[in-house]
Amino acid sequence: MGAISASTPAQAPIAASRWARRWLPWMLLAPVLVYLAVFYLVPLAIVIVSSVTDPSPSLSHYRDFFTDSFYLRVLSRTFATSLIVTICCLVLAYPLAYAMARREDTLVVAMLTVVALTFWTSFLVRTYAWMVILGNRGPITALFRMVGWDPPPEILFTRFSSTLAMVHILLPFMVMALYSVMKKIDPALLRAAQNLGASPGRTFRHVYFPLSAPGVVNGCTMVFILCLGFYVTPVLLGSPREQMLAGLIGSQIEELLDFGEASAMAVVLLLVTLGLVALYNRFVGIDTLWG
Amino acid sequence: MNTDKQPQSAVDASRRNALKRIVTVASSVIAAPYVITPARATETLYVNTWGGIWEEAAAAHLFAPFTKETGIQIKTVSPVSFAKLAAQAKTGNYEFDVTTLGGGDIVRANDAGLIEKVDATLDRTKMAPDQVFQNGVASHAFSTIIAWRKDKYPNGGPQSWADFWDLKKFPGSRCLQSYAARVLPLALLADSVPKNKLYPMDLDRAFASLDRIKPNIRVWWTQGQQSQQLLRDGEVDAIGIWHSRTIELIQQKQNVDFTWNQGEIDRAYWVVSKGSPRAKLAWRFIQSVVQPDRLAKFCIAANYGPLNPKAFEYIKEADARLMPTFPANYKVQFEQDVAKAEPQLADATKRFERWVGR
Repeated sequence: MGAISASTPAQAPIAASRWARRWLPWMLLAPVLVYLAVFYLVPLAIVIVSSVTDPSPSLSHYRDFFTDSFYLRVLSRTFATSLIVTICCLVLAYPLAYAMARREDTLVVAMLTVVALTFWTSFLVRTYAWMVILGNRGPITALFRMVGWDPPPEILFTRFSSTLAMVHILLPFMVMALYSVMKKIDPALLRAAQNLGASPGRTFRHVYFPLSAPGVVNGCTMVFILCLGFYVTPVLLGSPREQMLAGLIGSQIEELLDFGEASAMAVVLLLVTLGLVALYNRFVGIDTLWG
Repeated sequence: MNTDKQPQSAVDASRRNALKRIVTVASSVIAAPYVITPARATETLYVNTWGGIWEEAAAAHLFAPFTKETGIQIKTVSPVSFAKLAAQAKTGNYEFDVTTLGGGDIVRANDAGLIEKVDATLDRTKMAPDQVFQNGVASHAFSTIIAWRKDKYPNGGPQSWADFWDLKKFPGSRCLQSYAARVLPLALLADSVPKNKLYPMDLDRAFASLDRIKPNIRVWWTQGQQSQQLLRDGEVDAIGIWHSRTIELIQQKQNVDFTWNQGEIDRAYWVVSKGSPRAKLAWRFIQSVVQPDRLAKFCIAANYGPLNPKAFEYIKEADARLMPTFPANYKVQFEQDVAKAEPQLADATKRFERWVGR
């Protein structure tokens, strides 16, 4: 069709503009597509290939992983920890984001600054800060001693302390995800619901929460996936028995130089995560929520 | 995970370094139009460093004199990564030409052909007889020693690893590095294996020995800074920790003490990345940095012990006494037999990982 219209000189500009209309979006997308291909797809392909070829072509790394109860235990613990952290973040962030979205004054700016401030501090520094706060000479222990609980319970190097620190580090992501969606909810809808006789609880359940759901999904996905990759915080603050899969991947590379096994572990972690997202999509539908 | 296998990576220092670098870059950009470029192209050597105090000390006492003498510029790359060294030999892309390796790693690297053969031109006359090892040149050493809180053990802390393991004589919490190659020999010493019979390691015996102390290990440290904080804040009562970290705490008047007895010495070796196009320059560099006078200044600044005994001629006795290779300290400690340990390490590390997680 393009060839026919190009045959008459008068129609040539139209053809050109049609061509442009068709390809311009792709040309605009090209930089990011190239970027993703070079910095994301190629390395990912290398990891997948080396998981079945390093040192020799076989599926033995996967067999080793799935027949080793230690690896499976670490994998399940990694997911359990991420789930707990995600839930804690959601429970804490939702009311905060709600309050921020409903206000118009300078207090919002202050709250946003406080949330963003933790972004500006290196997470390693924040992890060490928790060591001081929860430690033997920290304020929490001092409080226990003041009320006569001596020797105070050990808080540091438990599952509690590592979870607490991870929630603290990931909370801003959840707040931002929720806030950006909640800010766009039209307050008129809530007034309309109440006008029509809905109780505040019912308004929240049937109007506000469904409208904020995309933020909940975004925030939870982001926090969950970021949390899967954590290992420094659990190592520094958690109980010695509590390893995360990312830490094992690191030691496979740095201490054992076993790139093949490390790649296989990374692929397993990726596939299980994708599997979870797919399951969610199947039963809840990500598109409808993002839309 | 365990990239921080050597002491000295103070956050402060690296931040200061980064700032300095920004200032240098910024000022050179501003000044660029006025700089007359020398006619002769300068040669550059890329050195892998540990950052922090290590890099500061190396820049001042090793790199600067070398550049002054030869005109070869030094560019640094950090952190030290064994995985990267392996990748370089595989891909032929060189981020650095020279790096330092610990005892366990150098055997592994040499076996896997990741490092260059020692250059024939290397002048060994000013070196110790055992300084060239597995195609690397020994430079400096640090030691894993027993340190304790004085408020917990006012009459003196554990004086040997057997004491460290003895929870009746020295009740309290313990901490060791999460690093099989260093911890297993200590477990054997604690189980009264003599220093000269440690290798090859009896792994079953080592893990059985570790089982006895495991309930009292509150945490396994992975970073030098972390080990220091654990002792400073009294999170643990006794700890196996690097000598330099402990001496820093004592200099800060913290309530801690340590013993050199049964300290476990680790050597660091300079090596050249396999196939580096600048290998010739790299060997000239190595020759220069293990010179006694330069090595001495580096060791004083970065809290190491020189592995070239001639370096002690340039070190005041007060400083020398704080070094693990000072003769009086050296003779009560022990060195790892890395060549014998290496074949065991992959299995030992995997087993250790599982054992800790149990």
